[in-house]
Amino acid sequence: MTSFLRPDENTLGVIFGRRGKGGPPGVAKALRQASARGATLGTGYLGVGAGVLSAIQALYGVSLFASQWSVYPDPWPAALAWVLYVAAFVTALVTMSVLGDRFPVWLFAIYLVVLAASVALDFFAIWPLHNIGAYATASVSAGFGLVIVVTLRRGREVLASAGVLGIAFIVAIVLDSHLTTATFPGQLNTLALSVLPTVIGVFVVRGFRRMVQQELDRVLVQSTVSAPRFAVGMLASEELARLDLAAEDLLESVATGRTKLKLDPKTASVAASLATELRLHLIEGRRETWLYHAVSESEMLGKSVTLSDKGSLAGLLDSNQRDGLLSAVWLLMSDSRKQQSTRTLSLTLGPVTTPAERLANNQIKVPITITTTDVQRNRVDPAIWASISRVGRYSDSTERSSLRVDIECVVDNPADQ
Amino acid sequence: MRRTPLLFFNRIRNIVPPSTGVAPPFVVAICEHLDDMELIAKERDRLLQRTARFLGLSGTLLTLISLAFPGVVTVGAFVSTIPFLLLLAVCLFLLPRNHPLLWSMLGIAAGLAALVVARLPFSGTPSPSLASALAPLGAAGIACFAIVLVSSVLRIVLVVVAAAATTLLVQLAAPNFGALSPTTLAIILGWVLSAVLGYWLSASVPRAARRIYSIGKAHRAERQASETEAQRRQGARLLHDTVLATLTLLAHSGVGVAPEALRQQASEDARLLRQLRLGATPTPQAAGNYNLTPVEETPLGTTLESVKQRFGRMGLEVSWHGTGQVLLPSDVLDAFLLSLAECLENVRRHSGVTQAHVTITDDATTVRAMVTDAGVGFDLDGIDEDKFGFRESVIGRLREVGGNARLFSSPGSGTTVVLEVPR
Repeated sequence: MTSFLRPDENTLGVIFGRRGKGGPPGVAKALRQASARGATLGTGYLGVGAGVLSAIQALYGVSLFASQWSVYPDPWPAALAWVLYVAAFVTALVTMSVLGDRFPVWLFAIYLVVLAASVALDFFAIWPLHNIGAYATASVSAGFGLVIVVTLRRGREVLASAGVLGIAFIVAIVLDSHLTTATFPGQLNTLALSVLPTVIGVFVVRGFRRMVQQELDRVLVQSTVSAPRFAVGMLASEELARLDLAAEDLLESVATGRTKLKLDPKTASVAASLATELRLHLIEGRRETWLYHAVSESEMLGKSVTLSDKGSLAGLLDSNQRDGLLSAVWLLMSDSRKQQSTRTLSLTLGPVTTPAERLANNQIKVPITITTTDVQRNRVDPAIWASISRVGRYSDSTERSSLRVDIECVVDNPADQ
Repeated sequence: MRRTPLLFFNRIRNIVPPSTGVAPPFVVAICEHLDDMELIAKERDRLLQRTARFLGLSGTLLTLISLAFPGVVTVGAFVSTIPFLLLLAVCLFLLPRNHPLLWSMLGIAAGLAALVVARLPFSGTPSPSLASALAPLGAAGIACFAIVLVSSVLRIVLVVVAAAATTLLVQLAAPNFGALSPTTLAIILGWVLSAVLGYWLSASVPRAARRIYSIGKAHRAERQASETEAQRRQGARLLHDTVLATLTLLAHSGVGVAPEALRQQASEDARLLRQLRLGATPTPQAAGNYNLTPVEETPLGTTLESVKQRFGRMGLEVSWHGTGQVLLPSDVLDAFLLSLAECLENVRRHSGVTQAHVTITDDATTVRAMVTDAGVGFDLDGIDEDKFGFRESVIGRLREVGGNARLFSSPGSGTTVVLEVPR
């Protein structure tokens, strides 16, 4: 306890532009962890839906198989394939619900092996018919069997399994079937039916997860709307507590004589930096507004929004105006149809110019300017205009082929409060 | 029935006067939640539309490939089908953009037209594979619109009609019209699966949303707790003031201060910090040299004594005059003492003398402290008040509690600061 460590990180919160580089700041880290929890949010119910879809398809497949019973030279291997498939399918669903929405890798491996056996038996049974596309039943359902695990296994694993199934179908079709005008469409359909469901399943689950995480991010940031004019970030109190504790340790050690007076230069410099950090924290910690915290804490806004609010004017907005502004920015950023958006947005508040005529109730006008890149004005969602109009009167224009909005936001004069 | 709650909330919103924007708390709560729901509903719709587009384009492409296989249809029929397939593809592509209902209806119409045109002329027997070739179009290319159309009863009717038309048209393309062929069953399967997918996906969203909002609620509470905790710690200004002073002494290796006094001071400060860490409120006891008491109203005298002793240890002799038994609310006292300490610190650093006088007077409304030194003084016009942090640390703090400060000085004739706080 005789050596004291210098507080090694900047305790004044997140710095713009630093996101993603080096160690994440505390707040961002905490939010990232919260978002990670969002990855499984609601997908359980979605998994049940996948089970329902696969079950419907299995019913169709079994009835198709039954109607073709007399065509088979020997239907029993195909029947065994169906028994295997249904057994694996039901067991997998039961196991998932027993294990609580988990599907460990060894179980997944066994499941795949059983499905493969079912496919092999089905192919074996219909091989003499020389028309895989027309007579494959259980092997097609095996594709749907993969759909039920899309919520629990990684998309890549499931897609790879579907790919192997597709290759098996292609090989079997090429080796066994005669591709003619009469049979070609059927082969193609069967191949698509075996692979496409899994691909769509992965597509849906990814989209769903992205939606949930985005919404979670938005809801977490939304909590800044009710913050006081100047607020501390989520973990500021913890940082202050950490500094207090470090100071306490140092003082305690001086008091008990463990650290000799007069202090060695190293400990003295630790005391100096502790004092500086503490002082900065006590004074500077409240200089940031809710909007700063909202932008810096959000995974989505932090990447693409720059905020310039020298006078901390955002703090003057009432909660309805804040909500409108945050929603508008959020919608502008999330509205992109492209997956990898190049949209950026910069928000400028102020400066307040003294109006020629005094406003009623001694209010003041805060000019807010939103400039964007890669946002076409005629493609803006109507909901965005509704949100902006909650902030104040606005006019929109196009600047460098992208949207620009000027808002006149009327707020109470802080001098009266 | 589905729309009733929305109308109800809209009506609530309308009764909120837009000029003031002040709504009863329950209305605000409802409206917030409604906005959340609207936003996630938009995202949900976009997911449904993208899924439909993916499925539909795949089905359309499959049919196009099959029709292109030589002999499945005549060249004339193939060429005349292509524009309709392209129109369907365009509708699918634009589906997530805007007007989903319009694109859905147009897309369904284009798909059905493609089914008709591919079968032309109706007089002849179709090729045996035509139905198979058209199956992906019916079971995915058109059926995918069921994903986006299961949201209301009226639209479900549209889905049923479209499904029936699709099934019939594909059945027409089969050589044996009467029998229910596997192809026809596959079309029905495609529509059923699309509808179930759309319904299930829609139903999953509110479930996830509820969880998200409960997490959001917890997060809001956490943010408030964090804010309160930070306020509590930052509010303990007087405590931090002494800690900072001691740390600054330590930063100079404790030179110029008696080791015993410094050790005692460190012990005091460590104890106060420990109490801050353990307690729910800053509750330093009225003991030792620093009399930071937790009670709402605090007698000034004992606290002033602690300030005097602290500056005594740092080499500035402070003489007290006037009343010592004034009771002040603790936040006012904090601001008052902190400003006083700032002034004395300025005297210690800049005046060049080792003596300062503090005179406390009070009347019915105000407590006043006059800090005087006989030091070098300075030119008020020549020196920016900001330089000494005077505006920030003294005037700012006093104004927060309704007080004020005035500064009088001229070169060579000392400095006087008058601090005022309301009682």
